[in-house]
Amino acid sequence: MLTAPQLVDQLVNGVTLGMLYILVALGLNIILGLMGVINFSHGSFFMLGAYLMYQLNGPLGFWPAILVSAVVVGLLGMAFEATLIRRLYRRIPEYTLLLTFGTALIFAQIVRRVWGDDAVRVSTPAYMPESLSIGTYQVPFYKDVLLVGLTILILAGVWLLLNKTNIGMIIRAGTRDAEMVKILGINMPLMFTLVFGIGSLMAGLAGALAAPIYAVQPSLASQWIVLTFVIVIVGGIGSFWGAIVGGLLIGILTSLMALLWPPAVEMTGYIIMGIILLVRPRGLFGVEGLFE
Amino acid sequence: MTAPHTGAALKTEAPRRNSAAALLTHPLLWTAILFIALPYVAGANPFIGKWSGFVGIATTMVIFSLFASGFNLYFGHVGELSFGHAMFFTIGAYATALYSKGFNVQVFGLTLQHGETNNLFVALILSVAVALLWAWLLARVIIPRSSGIYFSMITLAFAQVIFFITYRWSELTGGEDGMQNIARPNPTGYGWLQDSLHFYWFSAVVVFLALCLLQYVLRSPFGSVLHAIRENRQRARFLGYDVDKYRVNAFVISALFPAIGGWLWTYYQQAINPDAGSVEYSGNVVMMSLLGGIQAIMGPILGASVYYELQNNVSQLTKYWEAWIGVVFVIVVLFAPRGIMGLVEDVQHYGIGTAFRRYFSRTARVEIDMEEELPPVIEDPAVTKASS
Repeated sequence: MLTAPQLVDQLVNGVTLGMLYILVALGLNIILGLMGVINFSHGSFFMLGAYLMYQLNGPLGFWPAILVSAVVVGLLGMAFEATLIRRLYRRIPEYTLLLTFGTALIFAQIVRRVWGDDAVRVSTPAYMPESLSIGTYQVPFYKDVLLVGLTILILAGVWLLLNKTNIGMIIRAGTRDAEMVKILGINMPLMFTLVFGIGSLMAGLAGALAAPIYAVQPSLASQWIVLTFVIVIVGGIGSFWGAIVGGLLIGILTSLMALLWPPAVEMTGYIIMGIILLVRPRGLFGVEGLFE
Repeated sequence: MTAPHTGAALKTEAPRRNSAAALLTHPLLWTAILFIALPYVAGANPFIGKWSGFVGIATTMVIFSLFASGFNLYFGHVGELSFGHAMFFTIGAYATALYSKGFNVQVFGLTLQHGETNNLFVALILSVAVALLWAWLLARVIIPRSSGIYFSMITLAFAQVIFFITYRWSELTGGEDGMQNIARPNPTGYGWLQDSLHFYWFSAVVVFLALCLLQYVLRSPFGSVLHAIRENRQRARFLGYDVDKYRVNAFVISALFPAIGGWLWTYYQQAINPDAGSVEYSGNVVMMSLLGGIQAIMGPILGASVYYELQNNVSQLTKYWEAWIGVVFVIVVLFAPRGIMGLVEDVQHYGIGTAFRRYFSRTARVEIDMEEELPPVIEDPAVTKASS
């Protein structure tokens, strides 16, 4: 039967999972909302972040490694946009899905070639406490305290970027009508590259942060990408709060499902998506008429 | 009821010169020729000096040419990308496997039981029925509510549901390992299907008949309405067509062919595992269709054969062959989205020199993707004549 500590455990787990989902999904969502690019390789950027973290953790130390991994993935994303994605803007968005599906295959094989088929592990620094005691309750420190706190800070940063800066204003306007923003004299190709870089950086950051928690393996990308799509659909394309609510909802309910009915854990997100779709076809915070 | 021709639709159709030429360029004739040649050439690898064909690879090719053709009915002819068509393939395959091997499971306190059976045609009917029912239910829910990229992502997500059912419901489906030792039926009493070459010919005939049906659907007034929807959905709606109804019907029909493919696939492999419904399979049929050319009936058929030929050759050279499949994917999407058949059509229209220039020029690429934003490019007298 369910006990209260179990329930709390799973809730906390769910929040952690949800936070990582949000980081990955928000990057995907900003890219999708602004440019209409369905980036199937977004999961690969997440995976690359985790592997770079594994590679750099030793020589650079824990925190610099996270930072460098994220920045490298961000730069890779910019190069990716400038060389491949850019050629597809005049075509229908489905082609971006196909192109990035192809590149996801390539990334997965590169990772297999460089780091092998077996899962690798990343450890947290020795000075970091294993867990934190709150009364009689023990919380894993990195996973459920530090990670959640950091993600909230990052999300606050992204919110400020989107809502309080010029770049954010351009992104929000471009999500509504990219062509009109271009006519107003904004260098949209540059903006697209920049935003693709920001989105990839968030995926890489999420990957680096998640590396100590999960087994880092080549199948990481495909495990995450479809669920990330689901979160974007549940939240609504192009919506900041949509990604947050969607990520938390799916993270928490997935964790609770592990208590209620373990075989259906992986399906929770899809079931939620099915229900949301029936009630709100554009997602919780979506607007009608975007990319249809 | 026939749909009006739009300029864009005309450009993609080969001009009919006369009946002899029409017969010689008929896609079903070339499909038949391809299927007869396949067991002798499929899987030959010039890189390592292996020239003879493999029946197994040929069987895979014909089964996937049916799967890809069914998928492409929706992608190439209605113009929307379903990124989850492997669900119908896997439903067909598992329905056949479950019917053949039997099952005994508890669902909500009810015991569902079925012994081992071995009937080719009952398995086919079951596979098709289950797949079509699921396709219809799904289509009724998602098609009125989504289109464009939402549609692609939602079909992908629902395919994952089916994938995880086959992956997790071990009691019924055998979980990750799937089911093995599924006996091929023995309809004639002589064990005719046990031989791999015989099974190839059986598959080829089934696939060919199904492709005839597909060809019939696409050349019917129904098919013309689908093309009208692809070219301009709003205009089709103004003409009085119930666009969503046509989309639902087309989606259900496009699920039929993967289901038949799944039925053959189970008997061919005599085993089945959840991979058949994975994202990779859904993506690979898109690749096959694009590679062959999405607007021609012959496209996915040729594409499936070329795909497996490539896969087989490259996988003998490197264990990271999937990366090279990815490279082909990128090249086709960027530089040759009209596929092999697009080039063939251009050669038929313009002659070899002009065709190559046109095919790889940017206008030709953009032209097939944009619906409204570019004015139609009509520079060829043959096309103008055919439309008047």
